[in-house]
Amino acid sequence: MKLHRINAVIVRHIYESRRNLDRVTDMVWWPVLDIIMWGFFTVYLSHSNRLQPTVVSCLLGAVILWGTFYSFQRDMAVGFIDELWCRNLINLFSTPLTLSEYMVGLIAVCLLKVMVGLLAASAIAWAAYSFDILPWLPKFIPYMANLLFFALALGIAITGMIFRYSTKIQALAWSFAGLLMPVSCVMYPISSLPKWLQDIAWMMPTAHSFEGMRDVLAGKGFSPQHFWWGVGLNVVYFALAIGFFGWIFEKARTRGLLVKQE
Amino acid sequence: MLVEVENLSKTFGEFRAVDNVSFAIERGEIIGLLGPNGAGKTTTIHMLLGLITPTSGRISIFGKSMATHRGEILAQMNFTSPYVAFPFRLTVLENLMVFARIYNLKKPRERIDEQLERFGISKLRDKAIARLSSGENTRVGLCKAFMNDPQLLLLDEPTAYLDPEIAWQVKNALLDAQREKGTTILYTSHNMDEVERMCKRIIFLHHGKVIAAGTPIEITQAILEEEREEPALEEVFMRLVKGKAA
Repeated sequence: MKLHRINAVIVRHIYESRRNLDRVTDMVWWPVLDIIMWGFFTVYLSHSNRLQPTVVSCLLGAVILWGTFYSFQRDMAVGFIDELWCRNLINLFSTPLTLSEYMVGLIAVCLLKVMVGLLAASAIAWAAYSFDILPWLPKFIPYMANLLFFALALGIAITGMIFRYSTKIQALAWSFAGLLMPVSCVMYPISSLPKWLQDIAWMMPTAHSFEGMRDVLAGKGFSPQHFWWGVGLNVVYFALAIGFFGWIFEKARTRGLLVKQE
Repeated sequence: MLVEVENLSKTFGEFRAVDNVSFAIERGEIIGLLGPNGAGKTTTIHMLLGLITPTSGRISIFGKSMATHRGEILAQMNFTSPYVAFPFRLTVLENLMVFARIYNLKKPRERIDEQLERFGISKLRDKAIARLSSGENTRVGLCKAFMNDPQLLLLDEPTAYLDPEIAWQVKNALLDAQREKGTTILYTSHNMDEVERMCKRIIFLHHGKVIAAGTPIEITQAILEEEREEPALEEVFMRLVKGKAA
């Protein structure tokens, strides 16, 4: 892997983000809108004494963390779809750039974008609703890392599917994370789900992260159990995603899909 | 030999796009790859670039196998086609800077300016790709193709969208590169006059097979089965494709 080629991919996507209003909207607009809307909702609930303060923090914390997870997964897939829309894949892969260099560059850009969105959402939560995520951050970081790890695995798998089925399935880039939202238990504990859905939820690294986050906000401290379950599941999903992606890329080269450009 | 292709085949399901093709290219040659639409020219080029995996056969470039030395080989070659595009929101300069970084060029801005000058598009440097005409886009592709000083250049119909004057400039730039730096060029085109002028040798593909190979005059005489003093590739093309002379 060569750093200068990874750097080229990062620069390419930074140029795109600078010039494409859609990418700016994805990066900042939605995280900020989400936190504003949910923030007002929590204000309404706390004014009428319907909720304990920890529940308000749970909601706002969940909105911020889910936004981080969703943005990372979406940006990975959309970054790749951009190359298809621009018919740029042949240009890129007829150079010495390797697939792994391309993916590492894309991941770095997505991390950067997610950080911008996270900072914007956290600043608004602090300024408008007095929800300061900073004191919680040391205990949230391991869960956030698990969320990003899972988003990465999903992003890789979805990018692989786009390689195979092209832009016909591009809607997955925006919608797939939404499919997992109910079983990720973002706003409610896993115990609120019916038993059969609980079994599925326990297989989601996202659900472990949000359970862990709620434990922290409820003053129960950091839960190593939720963290390590998340790590274990992520390792499995990541290995599957990488295997799937490598296989599908080779298939794409065999079938000539890399040069189809649509 | 700079390029050696042996028994190269590619099938997509039942369709045989390239059928047992073999050829070799010497260093510094400009060679034309001709044939009607669907003859297998672009598929062959894509296999030479490692974008499509051959069903069978062997590709060796710079004495190395494409299957095992893809990165090393691609660092010393380049490709362009008017049918591929660049991210359209980025400016010409931004797009070329991305490729300058991929090839790890020293003094990338100078190198880019040289290429823009060579193809007469210096004034477009800060324009977004979306605002360029097809011909201007083609010339940006050519700037990209020359940026790493490639030893081997694969050009898929490089003058397709160019007006005659610009096409003339481009052909001269290619001939200069071949003369001054010994660049080897594999060239596809539907413009037979251009091929006659540019190419020392020609490979004719039809239905994925090599049906004729040699100098333009050799091919003309062999296919038309008569003595000619000048190459007549247009006639050859019509004879081969339609089975009769034009």
